Amino acid sequence: MANPHTTPATATPPAAGHDTHGGHGVIGHVDSPGLLFVVFLVVIGLFAANVAMSTSGALGKYTLFAQLAIGAVQATFVGLYFMHLRHGDKVVVLTALASVFWMGILFVLFMSDYMTRNRVMG
Amino acid sequence: MSASTHSPVLKHHFGDLGQQHASERLGMWMFLATEVLFFAGLFGAYACYRLWYASEFEFASAFMNLKIASINTVLLVTSSLTMTLAIRAAKLGNKSGLYTHLLLTFALGTGFMVLKGFEYAHDFHESYLPGEGTFVHSNMQTEAVARGLDTGKVRLFLCFYYIMTGIHGIHIVIGLGCILWLVQQAYANKIPPENYSTVEVVSLYWHLVDAIWLFLMPLLYLAGAHLKVGPH
Amino acid sequence: MTTAVTTAGPKIAPVPPEPPPAEPNYLNVSYSLWSWLTTVDHKRIGLLYLISISVFFVAGGVAAGVVRLNLLSPDGAFVNEDTYNRAFTGHGVLMLFFFLIPAVPGVLGNFLIPMMIGAKDLAFPKLNLASWYVFMVGAGFGVWALLAGGIDTGWTLYPPYSSRSSTSNVIPGVFGVFISGFSSIMTGLNIMVTVHKMRAPGMTWGRLPLFVWSLYATSLIQLLGTPVVAITTVLLMVERVAGIGIFDPMIGGDPVLFQHLFWFYSHPAVYIMILPGMGVISEVLTCFSRKNIFGYHAVAWSSMGIAVVGFLLWAHHMFVAGISFYSALLFSFLSMLVAVPSAIKVFNWTGTLYRGSITFQAPMLFGLGFVVLFVIGGLTGLFLATLGTDIHLHDTYFVVAHFHFVMVGGMVLGYMAGIHFWWPKMFGVMYSDWWSRVAAAIIIVGFFLTFVPQFVLGYHGMPRRYPNYPAEFQVYNVMSTAGASILGLGYLLPAFYLPLSLVFGKKAGANPWSATGLEWVSPSPPPLFNFDEANMPVVVCGPYEYALGVDQLGRGLPPGPGLGEANDPASKSEAPAAPGPMKKETEVVG
Repeated sequence: MANPHTTPATATPPAAGHDTHGGHGVIGHVDSPGLLFVVFLVVIGLFAANVAMSTSGALGKYTLFAQLAIGAVQATFVGLYFMHLRHGDKVVVLTALASVFWMGILFVLFMSDYMTRNRVMG
Repeated sequence: MSASTHSPVLKHHFGDLGQQHASERLGMWMFLATEVLFFAGLFGAYACYRLWYASEFEFASAFMNLKIASINTVLLVTSSLTMTLAIRAAKLGNKSGLYTHLLLTFALGTGFMVLKGFEYAHDFHESYLPGEGTFVHSNMQTEAVARGLDTGKVRLFLCFYYIMTGIHGIHIVIGLGCILWLVQQAYANKIPPENYSTVEVVSLYWHLVDAIWLFLMPLLYLAGAHLKVGPH
Repeated sequence: MTTAVTTAGPKIAPVPPEPPPAEPNYLNVSYSLWSWLTTVDHKRIGLLYLISISVFFVAGGVAAGVVRLNLLSPDGAFVNEDTYNRAFTGHGVLMLFFFLIPAVPGVLGNFLIPMMIGAKDLAFPKLNLASWYVFMVGAGFGVWALLAGGIDTGWTLYPPYSSRSSTSNVIPGVFGVFISGFSSIMTGLNIMVTVHKMRAPGMTWGRLPLFVWSLYATSLIQLLGTPVVAITTVLLMVERVAGIGIFDPMIGGDPVLFQHLFWFYSHPAVYIMILPGMGVISEVLTCFSRKNIFGYHAVAWSSMGIAVVGFLLWAHHMFVAGISFYSALLFSFLSMLVAVPSAIKVFNWTGTLYRGSITFQAPMLFGLGFVVLFVIGGLTGLFLATLGTDIHLHDTYFVVAHFHFVMVGGMVLGYMAGIHFWWPKMFGVMYSDWWSRVAAAIIIVGFFLTFVPQFVLGYHGMPRRYPNYPAEFQVYNVMSTAGASILGLGYLLPAFYLPLSLVFGKKAGANPWSATGLEWVSPSPPPLFNFDEANMPVVVCGPYEYALGVDQLGRGLPPGPGLGEANDPASKSEAPAAPGPMKKETEVVG
């Protein structure tokens, strides 16, 4: 990773066409309200789909999987657009991914016990 | 970058505002990583029992108040939108927009908690409580017995319900406090455009609490939505 | 890779003049108690940690004394069984949560990380102060639990005993652990952000001192592990208060789940304790053998490897707790994996020592002790990772001896090495060379005598935490208690000569050990913001250029302690070990 003093990631020039308040170079990207609203609609729409899908029970035993998949997509949208992961430093993205990865460690190794606990050897 | 190295909001141990903002953002993200792992413990525990006691958990979930939870989801996602718009207002130096969006976010979050209160009151009224002494009076108990389910495991779900929503609620309340603090900071002129990152770090926390709710919703309220039981 | 010391050529850079003493420095800028309690200076906060954890170390040591003395006789020498339970729990809780975990990150990490990377402070100075207050509040709850009569569950707090049966002070104790966890998270977060964002120009990742790398890895564990134990303790407290909870077997809950959640943090937590010690050792071994570290990248990345792999193997604490056979097999295999990065470190330290110009000042004695004891502790860990042998050795004194070799033999010696190495930097004075060497020798001897018999005891089946034992075990227990007395004496010595050095110690220069890190550039004690603010450091080379004889700014090194001339091993082989560091000190001018 580059030295922070020589290449501060946040000091990159803002995207053209956005007001950066005198060009301090510290404001960075300014969101477009339209895009945020579209993301908002997507998240709400996915929620409605989730409720409809769960209530119908059409997916049977795959319901839980589908529910969590929808939740993950929603969280990804929130992360990328509302939490600005799209414009995040490399290390910020890495931090976000690390938290998910470590949660994965917890889940996988917990399941290694709980899915096989009552299985008899041999 | 003289504006960024001589700003009144620049703390002395940072070289410039870019470094300060990046540090603040990274610090908040690292804190969010700890929050994710904090909830991962809960979700992991839930996963183990959901795996073992799937029918009891789905059964109990069907008694949860889907209507209030759905309204709450909309409130929380909307509050995330207004919070993001608050950052935009801060960056543009639009102070009245900053107030409006912060207060809107606060109102939506408060609405979430108020509805949550009504939901808890309803659950108490119906005796949907994990303690055996009260639980035996609920229609959940009667119906669980009729379906041949283990009432202990149904109560285990209720433990998760109260602990998960309770801890999430505490996070909401902390977030509301932080938003009020932002309003006070804005009032004291401490959030000029080059200090927008103060709003941003609070918003990151708020969005995470929102994102966690997006998982609590299916696990607690939608798990048994397909079952024809409960107070529908 | 550097050339061997013996082929080092003439000096490539002139030795800089001794910097004038900082006026004011961080110690004498103000004297009021209030100025200390409200300080946001990372160096002062490090000292606040130093004082508080020393108190807990003594308290934990007293509890250990009660345990060891009581084991002198097969039926308990002087306390009843209940008190014994509370004593070993107190020892565990105090030593782990209130000494070992904050020890190096809180004291040395706070003090040194900004100095080593060339920053004026940590990224979040107020958060840093808050972490100390949070720690003290947590510790306050812990002390409350102890003063109210103690806890009798063992530090592992397993339900259902802790949630239902125990009548001791579980709630305040657990709450203390919960709160002090936040302090650990705050410190870790601060250090990680600082390392990412505050490095001086030229301080690339490949030039970071290995102490910084190891604390970075430690902080990663603190950030990602501690929240899991936080939620676990919350669940435990809820269950104890409400009388019902998710670990309650009466409603289908699984008490083993608590153990999973608990060890998800608490196994990585042993790496929180040992990794900083490893960082200290990398600094000390290079300095006192006057060599570049052997395999810099291997040592740096093995720290990260330990941090990651350390999260994958917690369930070896639960092989006999009723977890799935398949899972146990998996965890047994994964537990073996952590031996790889640990061994990489040991081999590289040994490679560093090979043909080095070694001198034996106190930090080096502690450092060498660390390497030897850690090797024993690590190898016996493999016995416990192996599924079959663990069935035999589980919950015996073999386990106790194993983790004491790592935690005390490793970490406490590492901490001692660090305190002795950086003491002149912290306070600008040098402690007694003779007494510090004696203390190191006594501690290492006492340690062996305490814990080697415990391996024998455990192998023959004496379970841990039992107040009584068959008479044939008495001889080993007496040996162990005798060793503990010697060990205790060894720990007492620094409690005298270190504080005395503050008054009577000779003045130490900026770089008394002739070391290469940035922290040695500033005068001792350092000024308020660590460096000359008009002239912040610019790093030009790696952290251990002892062979070239330059520090990280590319300036020459002053003569080292015990060496007639820095970087001239020939003079050392003729006249070794004559003086302590103080005599040389005054000559380092010009």
